[in-house]
Amino acid sequence: MRSVSSVTFVRRPWRLLAEASALLIAVVVAFPLYWMVLSAFKPAGEIESSEPRPWTLAPSLDSFRRVFEQNEFGRYFLNSLVVACTVVIASALIAFLAATAVTRFRFRFRTTLLIMFLVAQMVPVEALTIPLFFLMRDFGQLNTLGSLILPHIAFSLPFAIWMLRGFVKAVPQALEEAAYIDGASRSRFLWQILFPLVFPGLVATSVFSFISAWNDFLFAKSFIISDTSQSTLPMALLVFYKPDEPDWGGVMAASTVMTIPVLIFFVLVQRRLVSGLGGAVKD
Amino acid sequence: MTSVTNRTTWTPWLYLAPALVVLGGLLVYPVYQLGLISFFEYTQAQVSGGEPTTFQGFGNYSELFSDAQFWQVLLATVVFAAACVVSTLAVGCALAVLLTRVRAVPRLALMLAALGAWATPAITGSTVWLFLFDPDFGPVNRVLGLGDHSWTYGRFSAFFLVLLEVVWCSFPFVMVTVYAGIRAVPAEVLEAAALDGASQWRIWRSVLAPMLRPILVVVTIQSVIWDFKVFTQIYVMTNGGGIAGQNLVLNVYAYQKAFASSQYSLGSAIGVVMLLILLAVTLVYLRLLRRQGEEL
Amino acid sequence: MKLSPRLAVLLSALVVTACAPQTSTNSSSDKDDKTGTLRVWLFQEVGNKPKEKAVDSVVAAFEKEHEGTKVEVEYIPIETRAQRVKAAFNDPESAPDVMEYGNTDTAGYVKDGGLLDVTEEFGDWSETKDTDPTAKQSVTVDGKIYGAPFYVGVRALYYRTDVFEELGLEVPKTMDELATTAREIRAAKPELYGLVVGGAYTYGAMPFVWANGGEIATGKGGSYASAIDSAAAQKGIKAYTSLFSDDNCPAAKCAGMGGNDTVTAFAAGKAGMAIGGDFSHTAVEAGKVKGKYAVVPLPGVKAGSIAPAFAGGNNIGVLKSTSHRTLAVELMEQLASKKTQASMFEAMGFLPTFSDVRQQVAAEEPYVKPFAETLAAGTKFVPASPAWAQIDSSLVLPTMFQEVISGKKDVAAASKEAAKKMDDAFGSIG
Repeated sequence: MRSVSSVTFVRRPWRLLAEASALLIAVVVAFPLYWMVLSAFKPAGEIESSEPRPWTLAPSLDSFRRVFEQNEFGRYFLNSLVVACTVVIASALIAFLAATAVTRFRFRFRTTLLIMFLVAQMVPVEALTIPLFFLMRDFGQLNTLGSLILPHIAFSLPFAIWMLRGFVKAVPQALEEAAYIDGASRSRFLWQILFPLVFPGLVATSVFSFISAWNDFLFAKSFIISDTSQSTLPMALLVFYKPDEPDWGGVMAASTVMTIPVLIFFVLVQRRLVSGLGGAVKD
Repeated sequence: MTSVTNRTTWTPWLYLAPALVVLGGLLVYPVYQLGLISFFEYTQAQVSGGEPTTFQGFGNYSELFSDAQFWQVLLATVVFAAACVVSTLAVGCALAVLLTRVRAVPRLALMLAALGAWATPAITGSTVWLFLFDPDFGPVNRVLGLGDHSWTYGRFSAFFLVLLEVVWCSFPFVMVTVYAGIRAVPAEVLEAAALDGASQWRIWRSVLAPMLRPILVVVTIQSVIWDFKVFTQIYVMTNGGGIAGQNLVLNVYAYQKAFASSQYSLGSAIGVVMLLILLAVTLVYLRLLRRQGEEL
Repeated sequence: MKLSPRLAVLLSALVVTACAPQTSTNSSSDKDDKTGTLRVWLFQEVGNKPKEKAVDSVVAAFEKEHEGTKVEVEYIPIETRAQRVKAAFNDPESAPDVMEYGNTDTAGYVKDGGLLDVTEEFGDWSETKDTDPTAKQSVTVDGKIYGAPFYVGVRALYYRTDVFEELGLEVPKTMDELATTAREIRAAKPELYGLVVGGAYTYGAMPFVWANGGEIATGKGGSYASAIDSAAAQKGIKAYTSLFSDDNCPAAKCAGMGGNDTVTAFAAGKAGMAIGGDFSHTAVEAGKVKGKYAVVPLPGVKAGSIAPAFAGGNNIGVLKSTSHRTLAVELMEQLASKKTQASMFEAMGFLPTFSDVRQQVAAEEPYVKPFAETLAAGTKFVPASPAWAQIDSSLVLPTMFQEVISGKKDVAAASKEAAKKMDDAFGSIG
């Protein structure tokens, strides 16, 4: 299939105009990120200046130093990474199984379940903090990373299942039948044939669960009460959001540190993400 | 689906089991608790002070519905969410079309910039935008020559600022998804339309939009869900709801009621109202899907 | 909403019997271990290092004295304290043994069942005979004592000596003069706020209400009625909100400010005057205006009078759920002792709650004088009702000020609504 961009009907001046505006928009969209990184590197005096300049001649690492000097910063970073990765892997696997069930089988309550998965996405997470608090307490999970991992798996599942449906559906029925004729067992088909085919979709959906787990500060704030060694990155960053003297340099440096892992993740999955999202909704 | 069907009826349930256990325990049960709390008198004194919880019936709801501020917040939420959804979709679709019109380098540039915006954590993005528009140190006021104009003082300008941030971080999802959808449209169809002398707008309206409809419905419904529940942006950018609470939206309002004032039952009631509104939206969505003859 | 009676009964029966929402019985722990780990939560202040140092020496001495005990101190951010403390009440497992808390929260925390009654120990403690009565009042609920006062905080008027000298201004002696002086500063130096004020700065605003004879609420012994909409109070509200104008502190920038913002602005040299506390002293000293400012009591309505200030401050209490009762109470006493308070004053500038210690430090440090004068002139406190915690955290008063400042409502309407909200809270919580 030829991609639309190669179509010849776009005339030259129009294309140049389109490309110029695409670049311009890219600059505008990237500007806040640029400003964030720039401010993180600016020396103290330049950040809070009434003549902000879009460059700095004396980049300084002071702000980053303040961020990294915080107690156990590395530990928080690691905790965040553990939470996000566990959530991504667990929710991908669980969602894959569930999506397979609702697309490749017919059974009673199938439609009801699907609607439930959609409805589940609408639950306002913030409102659930109180009931979840008691649940975590009763499970003895307060002050552990488990109290962050479990709810995030639950909250990312409905969307993941909903998105994965399209991928699982797109795998031709004939393939499945052929596999069984070749004597493949059901689990062999599931993990060795279906799973690799659906993988791009898993990557696309994992982006969403990664972001929500990585960014969370609501649960961290509510469930990690007394054991600071279980705290996560956003909690460490909140320290810089002091209302009395907002340490903009520290805030920007901390934000940069927090954004970079997500950016890396995105760049890594970029290709799959684009094809993935297309596939998810093509059904 | 014939051969696979009914081979063993318990297999799908086996596959579903982990998901159902997790969702049942960590979503359905807390939602049930939420509903329960909304019928009780439930403040900090009940939670930890050993005072008995008392059943209120619809007392919390009638208190809520007789509060003028609730209606004001509800209206603001609906209007704000609608504005966010429309702007996000418009920007996302326009840029998706633009992506198909340009060569690799500008396309990659725009794509990477958008992914960057998408990847930015909400709390970070909100802070950066606030800093950009800071009356004293932000570059925007300098460039626009606005002096020390404060964007967060006026109700509308504060909402507008939040809207910009919301659109900034949520248009990439729409853009990437719609772009992927357009790429899947066979080039021949578009060529034929172009040969017929159709304008760009016409091609979009008569050829692309109908083919992209399933995608558009999905991104619309997702945007509605996300924008209706906007929390971090409002909370961070307007400092918990703005001057005299002028920028409250339902989610922040519920949070403030529940956690700032410890009126957990009122907060829960607001949560339930939100859930019901979103449910109504879902029903509309399902009807749309069904009318398209689409099976779930 | 109308339900058929039968359905309603059925529904309520179902809900009540089957499953009331969860609570935690915060009964006091019977255990009284003599060894183990004590957890302490203290507030994280602006420039916290000196505080940590002072606390560390107390802790080191305590650990040495009691073999087998370990003290873990955590500094919690003030902004997120409410949530942390509530979570601690809800989950005794996570709760600290000893914690610092704002004195306006006392009644609320007691009602929530969080604080331990230490009346007996407080009475046996020899140092407490010197505790200033206002401070003692701030740990007392219904005649019982729930902690030890840690420091008192009171606010006064900071002003820029260099600006006053340059413009030939006199230090204002009445509230009216305060306003005119503020406008003169702004007129002569448009880059400065005259008197920097904040729409969310309740304790900076209340002296205006009190000086005009108004009250937040009237009543005693648990039953309060709001008085914020009285004529006198409205006069005070008007006086305060009229300062939010382009000729002093533009509403667009000042309406959203809280107390700390105003102090920061003053410290950064952006204001001619500010209402700041004794506890702001360190922050201002660290700012650009070091050596260029002085402090006087905030003037009242009549010349020579002092506007009643809010007697703020923090206390240290023991949590009901502690399993180390004896040790925890002892640690509380050491953290709030005369010795610690004196060293805390040196480290952070916190005013001691013991009258004799306060006199002693005032003699050494002249900057304490205006604050001591303000305290001596009589201070006011928020209603000692558990409802106050809710009124405070649901921003009833800041909302009222901001509504007036931004022109959404006039003083009468805004204060009337605030009064109604407060009465609702008093009514439902008591």
